Amino acid sequence: MSARALTGLSPWGRRLVAIGCLAWCLITVFPLYWVVVTAFKTPPGVVGGPTYLPFIDFTPTLQPFIDLYQGIRGEFFRTFLNSTIVGLSAAAIATAIGAMAAYALVRFEFKVRLGAGLVFFLLALGGYLVFNNTLGFTRPQALLLAFPVALIASVVVNRLPLPGPILGNEDILFWFVSQRMFPPIVTAFALYLLYSEIGRLGFQLIDSYVGLTLCYVAFSLPIVVWLMRDFFEAVPIEVEEAAMVDNVPSWRIFVGIVVPMSMNGLLATFMITLAFVWNEFLFALFLTNSRWQTLPILVAGQNSQRGDEWWAISAAALVAIIPMMIMAGLLGRMMRSGLLLGAIK
Amino acid sequence: MMRNDPIKHVFIWPAVLVVLAISIFPLIYSLTTSFLSYRLIPPIPPRVVWLGNYVSLLQEPRFWNAILTTTLIAFISVALQYAIGFSVALALNARVPGERLFRVALLLPMLLAPVAVALVARMIFNPTMGPLNQFLTQFGLANLPFLTNGRWALACIIAVEIWQWTPFVILMLLAGLQTLPEDVYEAAELENASGWQQFWGITFPMMLPISAAVVFIRLIESYKIMDTVFVMTGGGPGVDTETLTLFAYQEGFKKFNLGYTSALSFLFLVAITIIGVTYLALLRPHLEKRR
Repeated sequence: MSARALTGLSPWGRRLVAIGCLAWCLITVFPLYWVVVTAFKTPPGVVGGPTYLPFIDFTPTLQPFIDLYQGIRGEFFRTFLNSTIVGLSAAAIATAIGAMAAYALVRFEFKVRLGAGLVFFLLALGGYLVFNNTLGFTRPQALLLAFPVALIASVVVNRLPLPGPILGNEDILFWFVSQRMFPPIVTAFALYLLYSEIGRLGFQLIDSYVGLTLCYVAFSLPIVVWLMRDFFEAVPIEVEEAAMVDNVPSWRIFVGIVVPMSMNGLLATFMITLAFVWNEFLFALFLTNSRWQTLPILVAGQNSQRGDEWWAISAAALVAIIPMMIMAGLLGRMMRSGLLLGAIK
Repeated sequence: MMRNDPIKHVFIWPAVLVVLAISIFPLIYSLTTSFLSYRLIPPIPPRVVWLGNYVSLLQEPRFWNAILTTTLIAFISVALQYAIGFSVALALNARVPGERLFRVALLLPMLLAPVAVALVARMIFNPTMGPLNQFLTQFGLANLPFLTNGRWALACIIAVEIWQWTPFVILMLLAGLQTLPEDVYEAAELENASGWQQFWGITFPMMLPISAAVVFIRLIESYKIMDTVFVMTGGGPGVDTETLTLFAYQEGFKKFNLGYTSALSFLFLVAITIIGVTYLALLRPHLEKRR
């Protein structure tokens, strides 16, 4: 271990480094302390300039939280519930199908022709234009028709012995991960338009549970596939080979052996995805307006509604932060057992 | 060992279908819309203008301002995140006293909602009631206009970015440091290499691949910045801190200028791709030489 890099230092050097770390730690913790303290302040405790110590500088009160619970500053209770429901279900679905895909990419061989990918894109684009402009379908209808046509055509093309490069598992993984590079505004804005046009056909997706969850599942999948692949690669293959000798079908190997063995990894991935969905702002801003509004939107709204009522703002921010603080503690414990280190490589 | 079993399709297709649907639909949709003049308010039927939206966008000073702002935020904050992150990771790796406590504290910021963090930052940077200005005046400095002056506001946003995302850099680099082989350092010790020489001769080059990955991830993510700016300054004062995503949001969601916004988001996608590819191309020779 390169721990020796510091053992060479003089005791004073070590102390200096420790002080530097402590300074960064203080910078990290101070804003958190500030928000916790401010949430218990009364109006005079805020307006009179910064105060730091409860019971000495100011008298703490629970009033901001009582206000929150009674819904004086927006429907916090329901929004909290929305965030929880959407977060848990999106994280669960994404972890489940992402883990399946990651396992497939680790243990099975895939071959995709580059040509098939091009055919898919061109047919989807061309089919959409033809259906929309020439055949007079509405835009979402045209998209929904072009998609399966392009998909089936590209699957067929993939079987044909065409020239051109063949992409393997690594490339498929790269494709998954590269979806994270997309600026979300491209998707969010287009999804908003698409959802609202589908809504005009009678199936409401804007401000609905299904629409929001679907979008979050798709956007978490790249991280899930990336993380889970490393966890599955760490599962010793001998166990699976032994099961295969006994003619256990693949899906039972996955459900009965691989999943239990990588439970910690699944749990960590689930929590990371949950944190991502819980904190997400842009999609929620575009895709919800009242019923399924999530916490970040409501918290951001506090700012414009209540300029200087810091006690209320802090309490609102705390509601959004506390579940993640608990999760940081849990993740920290898992990390100490060296679990996540393997995943990051 | 790679198996071949038809069941593999059952495993992979759900994920592929969802990602394909959610990424290809919007892509086609905004690509085609970007060639139209299409507004919802006032509702005029869409008209094909080909590259018209792109041309007017490229002539718009506000667009270039947004690019400059976003680039400044991304590059400065990622550079500082890397510098601070590497130092703290080195220290933690060397078993600084109290290192276990640091680890949990360090995990926190990156798990918190950027919106909530920005709200807290607003309070701390408040000129009259905030703790930061009070702290500074104790040293005899003047009250600083943190969020109302363009440059200071930009600096504050960068500071918040650093506060929130340095932990991520620390975490990744720490993981990398712990995989470095020990025998190299033992050999260096025998040669009487100083700590400084060991760092530049061994640690830094061996950490180059993971450093490249971390910086890449942070750079791409920083270019998408929106929520922090949205809450802290709303793009103001004026448009001094308006980032690309915020600009697109204002155009699309406030003015409902659909064709224009689609063109904007497409240019954004192209810009991100160019930055990503250039970055990888610049770095590739360095990475391969070390192998």
